[in-house]
Amino acid sequence: MNHGKKPLIEAVLAWRNVWKNKRRTVLTLLTIMVGSAMVILFMSLQEGAYDVIIENAVSANSGHIQIHEKGFWEFRSIDYALIPDKRVINALKADPSIAGYTERVHAAGLVANEEASEIVFIQGVDPEMEKRVSSLHKAIRKGGRFLKPGDATQIVIGQTLAENLGVKVGDTLSIISQGFDGSIAGLRDLSIVGIFKCGNPEYDRYLILMPLGRAVETFAMGKYITSIAVRIHEGSLMPEVRERLKNAIHDDRLEIMGWDDLMPEIMQYVVFDRASAYIFYFVLYITVAFGVLNTIQMSVFERTREFGIMLAIGTRPGRILSMVVIESLFICIIGIILGALAGSALSYYFIVSPIDYTEYQKELEVWGFITLTKVPAKLAFSYIIETSLVVFITSMLFTIIPARRAARLKPVEAIRKL
Amino acid sequence: MAIINIQDLVKDYDTNGIAVRALRNVVLTVEKGEFTAIAGPSGSGKTTLLNIIGGLDSPTSGTVHVVGKDLAVLSPKGLSDMRLEKIGFIFQAYNLIPVLTALENVEYILLLQGTGKEERRGRAMRILEEVGLGKEINRRPKELSGGQQQRVAVARAIVSEPELVLADEPTANLDQKTGAGLLDLMHELNHRKNITFIFSTHDRMVMDYAERLISLTDGIIVSDEKKKSRREGAVITKPKKMKSKR
Repeated sequence: MNHGKKPLIEAVLAWRNVWKNKRRTVLTLLTIMVGSAMVILFMSLQEGAYDVIIENAVSANSGHIQIHEKGFWEFRSIDYALIPDKRVINALKADPSIAGYTERVHAAGLVANEEASEIVFIQGVDPEMEKRVSSLHKAIRKGGRFLKPGDATQIVIGQTLAENLGVKVGDTLSIISQGFDGSIAGLRDLSIVGIFKCGNPEYDRYLILMPLGRAVETFAMGKYITSIAVRIHEGSLMPEVRERLKNAIHDDRLEIMGWDDLMPEIMQYVVFDRASAYIFYFVLYITVAFGVLNTIQMSVFERTREFGIMLAIGTRPGRILSMVVIESLFICIIGIILGALAGSALSYYFIVSPIDYTEYQKELEVWGFITLTKVPAKLAFSYIIETSLVVFITSMLFTIIPARRAARLKPVEAIRKL
Repeated sequence: MAIINIQDLVKDYDTNGIAVRALRNVVLTVEKGEFTAIAGPSGSGKTTLLNIIGGLDSPTSGTVHVVGKDLAVLSPKGLSDMRLEKIGFIFQAYNLIPVLTALENVEYILLLQGTGKEERRGRAMRILEEVGLGKEINRRPKELSGGQQQRVAVARAIVSEPELVLADEPTANLDQKTGAGLLDLMHELNHRKNITFIFSTHDRMVMDYAERLISLTDGIIVSDEKKKSRREGAVITKPKKMKSKR
């Protein structure tokens, strides 16, 4: 007699048993749905917030990628400078993912007026090219302006620095620093044309922008600059673009760094925050799995006699196990689909109606983060797949316990149960 | 030809550390086509004997051959297959799979045996007609009366034409009239299809119907008599015309 493949009887039995106790099944489906939807929603909100934090940090000044002479980023010294040769510029121009790049000169120095002095970080920038990389021009306070072509002795400074020095737009400052050649570099009567507040406490406190040409001249850079900042169209492509640039430029004297190298504290925050969230997700996954376990356990318990009869009339234990597993499979698949739909719908709502964090701005600044205003959620297919897979695998693993119990029943004992 | 051959069967149970002997050196031979009742009071060991014959329980000692097979050498899978192919079971009550209709419950055995859909359905329909449930095929167990459920169980037990049907107090939960109808049906099938039936019972009516009555007391066969069935000579109602009563 053929005892091989039988046409879906386990599936038919499982499906009908799923709906035998509708209330319990609906409650289990709700547990899976709510659990999955919550994880998808929280992932979307969280990843959306990371994107905004990273984008704000990147667009404030650093750009997605920077190119320096090796050692510059460690020592932040004007002694490490590079000549932007054709190979570098051609590589930047050739990459379609690059939205813009800008050359800069950096130097540490002292800024002073008649009443006060402050340690600052001076950044020489090309006003037009800079706008394609950073967003500092958008952070200029009312009454001021950003640098423009033709400016020579004009500067833009951060708001905290302006407050510490007690200056405003129209006032003048003097700078003293060290030149590339080791000479003393000094400038007097630099006119403040704009004050910015980008939300990054470091930039607001220490940064001064001046025209690139003037910086090159003041710091005796000649053909040298200290860095090239690069902005790319799609931030998530940074690692690939960085690798392409490394391969295209192929110069061991240069360091080509992504924002994660430039601002490791942001990456650390993201990693730490993700880890914390995973603990929360883990609790949700386990709650869902216990919900499924409870349902299947109860279902098996109630049907002990039925399984006993089935075993007695010749049903192999493997079929009983399959039937219980398929029951759980049906519940999980329906619950996961509902959860994915609900999670996606909720996430979509927060994409079109971002959460407004404006009132928490002060607290966020304390943590050193750039201005967060409206933070839209970010929904990726991978969040749905990841959540669904984990819920599915955890629930199915938990199902094995009652399924094995059902399959291992001794018919003679099981039949006695009512 | 002996369909069951039992030698020196002993079955002990361990109840809270105390060994309880349920069967004591039982020796029994049942020939093919017999309509046998194993009678005795509660706790006499009749269900245990039936369970061991059906391969649902194992003996403490002794040998049990059923349809030519020594049950001691069969694996759990082998026992499961033997039950599927050679034995039909009828229990006291709640025999059926609740989520399947009467037809599907009967088909289930054939499906496990790998019978094709057309043949499966045809045989299940025919047997349900024979037990008088032709109009109830699409009802689920909870929509059937106790008697109807037992008739579906009988249909399921014989649909694959097994050599042996074991029925554990099949009339225990039925009223007398329904029980008599069920016994008529099984007796008729026994005669027509030459299927061996063994009942465990303490119901006088079942004992009257039996052609062989084995009495069991405290795990010992105290009497074993062949006799005439009360039904013999009676007009056999054609099963197809049996009325279905809910």
